[in-house]
Amino acid sequence: MRNRALHIIGWPALAAALIALPYGLSFSQQEVLVFLTINVLLVASYRLLTLTGEWSLGHVVIMGVGAYASALYTKELGIYVPISMILGACTAALVAMLLSFPLFRMKGFYFLIGSFAAGEIIRLLWKRFRDPFGGPKGIKKIDPMPDFDIGIYSFDFFEPISYYYLALVVVGICLWIMWRIERSPVGLTFHAVHWQDKLAEAAGVNVRAYRTLAFVIASGFAGLSGALLAHYIGTVNPNSFDIEMMVFVLTWAIVGGTATFYGPIIGAIVLTILNEVVLREMGFEQMRPLIYGLLLICSVLFLPKGLESVVQKVLARRNGSGAAAAGEEQA
Amino acid sequence: MLTTILKNGLTRRKLLGATAAAVGSAATASLLPKAAFAAGKVIKIGFLAPLTGPVSAWGKPGLDGCQIWAEWVNAAGGIKLADGNHMVEFIGYDNEYDPAKARTGATKLVREDEVKFIMMLGGDTWPGAQPVADTTGMLFSTLLPSDLSPDTTTLLAPAEVHPIYNVTGVEWLAENKPDLKTAVMCAQDDALGLPSVATYLAAFEAAGIEMQDAPLLFDPATTDFAPVVTKMLSTNPQIVCLDTAYSDYVHPICEQLFQQGYKGQIISCTADFYEQILEKTSVEFMEGFIFQFPDFDDPALNADFINFQEPNRFYEEYSKRHPGEWGAVSWEYASIMDLWRAAAEKAGSAEPDAVLAAMKEGGKGKHIFGDAEWWGKDLFGIDNALVGNWPVVVIESGKARIKGFKSIPEWYAKHGDLMKKHMAAYGQMWNQRT
Repeated sequence: MRNRALHIIGWPALAAALIALPYGLSFSQQEVLVFLTINVLLVASYRLLTLTGEWSLGHVVIMGVGAYASALYTKELGIYVPISMILGACTAALVAMLLSFPLFRMKGFYFLIGSFAAGEIIRLLWKRFRDPFGGPKGIKKIDPMPDFDIGIYSFDFFEPISYYYLALVVVGICLWIMWRIERSPVGLTFHAVHWQDKLAEAAGVNVRAYRTLAFVIASGFAGLSGALLAHYIGTVNPNSFDIEMMVFVLTWAIVGGTATFYGPIIGAIVLTILNEVVLREMGFEQMRPLIYGLLLICSVLFLPKGLESVVQKVLARRNGSGAAAAGEEQA
Repeated sequence: MLTTILKNGLTRRKLLGATAAAVGSAATASLLPKAAFAAGKVIKIGFLAPLTGPVSAWGKPGLDGCQIWAEWVNAAGGIKLADGNHMVEFIGYDNEYDPAKARTGATKLVREDEVKFIMMLGGDTWPGAQPVADTTGMLFSTLLPSDLSPDTTTLLAPAEVHPIYNVTGVEWLAENKPDLKTAVMCAQDDALGLPSVATYLAAFEAAGIEMQDAPLLFDPATTDFAPVVTKMLSTNPQIVCLDTAYSDYVHPICEQLFQQGYKGQIISCTADFYEQILEKTSVEFMEGFIFQFPDFDDPALNADFINFQEPNRFYEEYSKRHPGEWGAVSWEYASIMDLWRAAAEKAGSAEPDAVLAAMKEGGKGKHIFGDAEWWGKDLFGIDNALVGNWPVVVIESGKARIKGFKSIPEWYAKHGDLMKKHMAAYGQMWNQRT
């Protein structure tokens, strides 16, 4: 009963807060908000991949595949931007499918290294083939999302608020789909493949097929996040999808925690706000990597189960006091 | 305090407390300079460049140089505009050489800080900032003219015409060491390396120097340069050209050349922090090393045609504040500010369109190394690069010295077709860029 009420009030309240959020921010914070929203999709898709127990170092490159593909579909073929974004996501999923053949001959640490190598090969291809990928400089002047008017609101996609709303809707739908997947029998099988792979195999589960499925679905969402990014900043280049960016994604996932759906999202939000807003506003422009690193070490030392463990403790305490209060009432 | 902490043992609470105190005091200190300008009229200038990360060597020293420039200008009464004198304040934003962060930074500087001019390193970051420039009409500068194209009407390359000035080093080499006739070249395969490769190829061809092999392009992630150097030296060249490489490449390549016994001529666009190379190699090995960026304690910079206030004192002050950090960009952004200041005072306004019009009036401008012209339509599709003379610097007895100033337009008038041929071959003409 209480949970239902929470859903009825909580979700609309959250939606209202997210819609109102950019109006309380400065222009540059609105820009950060756009990138943060896109990165939430990236890190959530990464968690979907890790459900089967495999950690990849090529996820950001797959995001780049979506970005490059969507940019090329609009630039070279003149495809309408929203359609090209979806096609970009499909291309990323397709590339992941092809990569899965060699990669899923490996497991664990070997998969990790294999995924890094595969990602580097893709980045080298972008650099080597100037036509069509633009070489080291990448692709510029990518078509922006076309502006439109819905009567109550006019979308000008140069403005961060407009693009934030677009990203919010897209990311919101994607998160809902990922949530449903995790809760479905397929998602439960992902967990089984991670924690009891031999048992699952003995029960007739095609472990490799499920690992591939998680990899492909996660890559599709990562590709969509890349497409969203490409059509906002108007340029993509191989350096934007390098191992440094991958380390950021890993950091968000580790600091946030991967046991829950919201863990990596919390990690991305907290660390992005810290790095891009708090430290910059405090005037630590050039000391940010140092302080960011220090805080990461502290979080690993003092919060080894991630930021999600804090949320879990708060929820457990609240549920505990709620149960106690209910017990008192019954008495 | 430290001894007390050590004496009583370091607890988690103390560690966090001490960190918070350090962060707090640093934050307070960082706010002080802004408070000093609160009373007067202030013009804000944006500095949007990498201040951290691997490319920071071409950003942070520039901001450090600009701070000295601002202090000197403010001490002399500031910028004199139609409505009175204005102090100058630089607002830095670390774009980490990332186009997305460049966009955020440009938005902050234009729409929140209300700066009147933004200086950038350019390269990968310019496409991120370009929509902001196009929409707001803000005046930007870049150190990389390859960012220029016909539609970048508010983007200027007023200090450095990279990589075109590299022709001056080769021209000087051919005139002064005519017996050197064979060369090899290596470069990182990126936006900075490739146009420079095309330029050096044109310059070598114009000077009658034969390339013994195609330029060796290495991946920017390369850290082991032994194979690169071994391959280059296998043809026994008289000249080794290091193209335009970051110091992270120039230093280990020089070290490898030294270790593999190379004794010939080296030519490079930059030799940032060359004192460190000297330490790793030897004064004899580095003797005659040609590059393009002078130390500002050079007596040649006191010539009348130099448009930079007290370069020797600037170098001295910079070296005092940031020992061992003098590099190619330490003076470049400050020299752009000299040009901007002259144009703003001429226009009587700091508004971007007024400054741009004043700066380009008559098609001529006062470049740091002498009178120059706004140029570039041939190569960049727009005359927004200020081109004139450029110094040729040679290391002699462990110290960089200017050996002369050579004219880029004069070279281009004679060999422009070669330049266009090689630029086109590497896909670097403005109409070839994706």
